[in-house]
Amino acid sequence: MRLSRFAAVLLVGLLAWPVLGQVILNRNLGTEPPSADPAISTDTTSIEIIEHMFLGLVDLDENTMAPVPELATRWEVSEDGLTWTYYMRNDVIWVKYDPQQGKVVPDLDANGQRRSVTAYDVEYGVKRTIDPNTASDYAYVLYIIKGAYEANTADPTSPDFPALMDAVGVKALDAFTVQFTLEAPAGYFGQIASMWVARPQPKWAIDAHGDAWIEPENIVTNGSYAMKSWIHNDSMVFVRNPYLPDELWGGGNIDEVHCVMVVEASTEFAMYLNNELDTAGVPLPEMDRVKADPVLSKELTIRPYPCTYYYGFITTKKPTDDVRVRKALSMAIDRQTLIDQVTKGNQLPANTFAGGTIFGNAALDPRIAPWALPENLGGWGYDKAVTEAQNLMKDAGYPDGEGLEIVLMHNVSEGHARIAQAIQAMWASAFPKAKFTIETQEWRVYLQTISKETPIENMPNVYRLGWCQDYPDENNWVHEVFNPTYGNNDPRMSPDDPQVGQYVAEFDRLTYEAGRLSDPDQRAAMYFEAERLLVDEIVAIAPIYYYTQIYVAKPWLTRRNHDTPHWDTWTIDAELKAQG
Amino acid sequence: MIQYLVRRLLWAIPVLLAIMVVTFFLARAIPGGPFDFAGEKQLPESIRKNLERKYGLDLPMYVQLGRWIWDSFRFDFGPSYASRSQTVNDILKRTFPISFQLGVLALLFALCVGVPLGTIAAVKQNSIVDYGATFMAILGVSMPTMVTGPLLMWVFALILGWLPAARWGTDYTQLYLGFFPNILSGKFWLHAILPAITLGLAYSASIARLTRASLLQVIREDYIKTAYAKGLPARRTIILHGLRNSLIPVATVLGPMFAGIVTGSLVVEQIFGIAGMGKYFVISITNRDYPMIMGSVLVYSVLLVAANMLVDVSYAWLDPRIRYD
Repeated sequence: MRLSRFAAVLLVGLLAWPVLGQVILNRNLGTEPPSADPAISTDTTSIEIIEHMFLGLVDLDENTMAPVPELATRWEVSEDGLTWTYYMRNDVIWVKYDPQQGKVVPDLDANGQRRSVTAYDVEYGVKRTIDPNTASDYAYVLYIIKGAYEANTADPTSPDFPALMDAVGVKALDAFTVQFTLEAPAGYFGQIASMWVARPQPKWAIDAHGDAWIEPENIVTNGSYAMKSWIHNDSMVFVRNPYLPDELWGGGNIDEVHCVMVVEASTEFAMYLNNELDTAGVPLPEMDRVKADPVLSKELTIRPYPCTYYYGFITTKKPTDDVRVRKALSMAIDRQTLIDQVTKGNQLPANTFAGGTIFGNAALDPRIAPWALPENLGGWGYDKAVTEAQNLMKDAGYPDGEGLEIVLMHNVSEGHARIAQAIQAMWASAFPKAKFTIETQEWRVYLQTISKETPIENMPNVYRLGWCQDYPDENNWVHEVFNPTYGNNDPRMSPDDPQVGQYVAEFDRLTYEAGRLSDPDQRAAMYFEAERLLVDEIVAIAPIYYYTQIYVAKPWLTRRNHDTPHWDTWTIDAELKAQG
Repeated sequence: MIQYLVRRLLWAIPVLLAIMVVTFFLARAIPGGPFDFAGEKQLPESIRKNLERKYGLDLPMYVQLGRWIWDSFRFDFGPSYASRSQTVNDILKRTFPISFQLGVLALLFALCVGVPLGTIAAVKQNSIVDYGATFMAILGVSMPTMVTGPLLMWVFALILGWLPAARWGTDYTQLYLGFFPNILSGKFWLHAILPAITLGLAYSASIARLTRASLLQVIREDYIKTAYAKGLPARRTIILHGLRNSLIPVATVLGPMFAGIVTGSLVVEQIFGIAGMGKYFVISITNRDYPMIMGSVLVYSVLLVAANMLVDVSYAWLDPRIRYD
């Protein structure tokens, strides 16, 4: 080999070496994460990055949604279900990215010692979420912990406030054992313990930097990836944490994750086609093309996702104060056609509020609202449902919809408008003499309008909303959203309702009590009945479809599916990627 | 001149104060508060109270207003409600330079295309060149950036593969003096071409139309005829004598146009995934992020006042008969 040629090869090799050595994932987060602080985050983007930076006591199995060990290797629940003790591993340390050394390094204390992730960090994290000075949006999720409600709602300047904080039922028994005391035996506390609001947090970093402790120059983490940079509203880079114990690593091979924050779905898709992203969502107008394309259709994945799209009925406003009208309207929605023609994401028609992976759900069980399901899923099918709907409407005094006036409201969005127009057309053909009006409002104004404070004359009859889980348990669904006493109860269900009052009272009782029991079978049976009352007897809502997650991934990327992505389980075939 | 400028500067103070007070009340007049909901979830009363206490929204209105004005004079615009680890100052410091770079490039493009196009159209009035230029101008005005952006991206990034599909070519941590990009970097220019053209096209069209209309008026003036009569070449007559005078209306619109363009365009930034200020202008309103709304409006107002002042000064240069003494 001639010397110059050798030199050239050497040079190219040296230049390419750092690039070839690292496996890099290019991902679009879709938006700027509003936060990376476990105590205050509420949205899926923030939670995705928190999932990788902060370990929980437990994680959730991606299929069964049961708690599995993470920081805690085992846990015990007392006989009465009130005391939960978690025994933690002692080999996880706090780390940070050091730009000088260009790598992830252990975070050292004043004596130069590595800091372990301890039970004290858990106690501090939970109490910080509950502390009213933190003003966490999701502190209420922890109200099941003894004393949490009292502390969170106290005036932090009052003299007895420190005592209230001390009384909160979370205590580090020693460096690696943490104990929770609950208000009531809650069977779902295992799921709560997996949530970001209950994760260990680094007190020293938060004390030093305040709300800015999550900025890349300040942040200290313990999860599978550490934050290298965060250029707000533009990009983030995460680097694999080499100090993570092997058992906690998900088995993937990605060293660095380069995230961008492109909002526009069509731009994201263009970047994917241009190989600037390894995986991306699919814009709705492109769905038909992607499904038909021989290459793209192989890169497409559609999987269930724990969110539900629904229409709610205001049960105190004429004419939807009549349960027959509500039921007829719900029946006359052809869910399968809507999915095939409008939403196009292989969603499943919904006959209950909570979908397939949530504990206690009864999704697609034809014993509940069989009229919402097509025949191949064991339901009635639309023809039978619409006939029955017309009979109900006649009973209610609106033959063919004569004299019926319904206002349907949704927030301004192209997608919601398409769905509303399709449903309006279905209703108009089922009840040709009725008048269906669609109204739209800007998001926050809309939320204000449908809340309980709005006078009834300003309310629509039907409103649109969706719900996504915070934790996979019916308590987060039927209870927190619809319980007439403790939940949001946007439909304004009341036990005084002349037609369905007794069902509402029963629904109230079931959803409240099931959240304070530990026996899984008993809880599941109660939630089944609660779902049946909500959708089939009270008909406070018309569930429409269970969401799906839709994405394309390049052939070199293997994504393991979690509802919250786990990058540490993903693998990239670097050779294949280099070939493009 | 100096006296005039000082007077204008002093006048700017009550103008800005009035804008601040009006924005303060307008922002709070929109129904729905910043902490009523997290996503689609209505927050419990207790949680909302904690948040309002943290951000001082439980204080009486006049205290909030007083604090806001006092803090603004110290250039402290407060925390952002929507992105709690950042202050409004952080966000503006980061996004304004990016929007400014994009805006200046777009405006330069608009001027370089608009003024010559308008001039040619005026000189060759009612010829095929004029109709062509007018057609282009109308097309440019009526094609929204949300059409031209994806179209340009599709052609130049996806089909031809010449340019990157999206994003800005430099980040705010690598700016000179925290403001200027490395203009020697090829990456910067490759990324800048598509968004700057998309944003600039719409403006170039209106500049072209304005230039044409104004120049048409000027070249009918006696002094232009005189210039021709004394034997000046056409090019020299038009460019030196005609164009300079006809640019006064263009300069007039350029002031507000500049303030608008450098504070960012939501659509172009969103399409190309650029971390500019335009997004915050709009999102802060949907989020009811009061400090962010007021901070961005104030920046825009200051720019607008300053740009209008510059325009007035430029009149004196464009037409020496205009004096401010």
